[in-house]
Amino acid sequence: MGEVIVITSGKGGVGKTTTTANIGAGLSQFEKKVIVIDTDLGLRNLDVVMGLENQIVYNLVDVVEGTCRLKQALIRDKRYENLYLLPSAQTKDKSAISPGQMKKLTSELKEEFDYILLDCPAGIEQGFQNAIAGADRAIIVTTPEVSAIRDADRIISLLESHQVKDNALIINRIRMDMVRKGDMMSVDDVTEILSIPLIGAIPDDEQVVIGTNQGEPVIGMDCNAGKAYLNICKRIMGTEVPFMDLNSTRGFFSKLSDAFRKG
Amino acid sequence: MLRKSSVAVAKSRLRTLVTSDRVSCAPGDYDNLCRELYAALSKYLELTEDNLKVDICRTHILITFAGDET
Repeated sequence: MGEVIVITSGKGGVGKTTTTANIGAGLSQFEKKVIVIDTDLGLRNLDVVMGLENQIVYNLVDVVEGTCRLKQALIRDKRYENLYLLPSAQTKDKSAISPGQMKKLTSELKEEFDYILLDCPAGIEQGFQNAIAGADRAIIVTTPEVSAIRDADRIISLLESHQVKDNALIINRIRMDMVRKGDMMSVDDVTEILSIPLIGAIPDDEQVVIGTNQGEPVIGMDCNAGKAYLNICKRIMGTEVPFMDLNSTRGFFSKLSDAFRKG
Repeated sequence: MLRKSSVAVAKSRLRTLVTSDRVSCAPGDYDNLCRELYAALSKYLELTEDNLKVDICRTHILITFAGDET
């Protein structure tokens, strides 16, 4: 019996889609059968981030409306044997499907997949309601910014009131150089305010931008964001993994100058 | 550095925002709530306004006060 995980944030642009793509690819490498679903109707993105945009024939709305069979709409990612994408519809809007229909779909998918990851649209309207309808647990993505954290707090309240209680936090795009100067909230600052368990902290990493340009996940790569995502996957599967020391992600010269400063 | 760290500013703004979001009240209402709670509690407990702390969490309100430090 699979598990339905919604990846949500409230605020847009904090990295939900990138996170979904990377966690999906990551989990599939552990021999788990994974499906990622783009639930952002009208603004389809997940296919592009994953580099699968040229393979779309049918989409989520087609499946829900019965225009095609589920199997016809699924796109298998050739790079990851166990990873499937169910893309969103670009020409429909949020009212094309209902929370009840999503719940039915996810419960069917649970029979066949180990993990069903839902990439949630920004906002708290129907798109959000659809995405959380069938969720067993939620991963809330935020960045260390006032607006993103405020929205995350609202989202956590809404999730709890919809009985999605097994929630965990990802803090994305952390810049340790700024944290050290007191110009960016640290992981501890953020978790103290949101008071839900942390499942991952992802350093700001150029490789993510490069990966997104090319439609490739960073997860297998030898870069800090890739490692951080891999750790998140292990934690999702229930393994305890110590949190990365983000300080060690610095270059040699920055450490050297620190050593001099300390005297 | 004499300048106040921007994180301190961010955290204090965020606390105010999150608190007023959680109880869906205007930002200034939190201060009024604290004052009224103090007024009520001080009838029964030995308190000063400084050692009473009110934290509004998502699921509960946490009221703490520092007693005698002996």
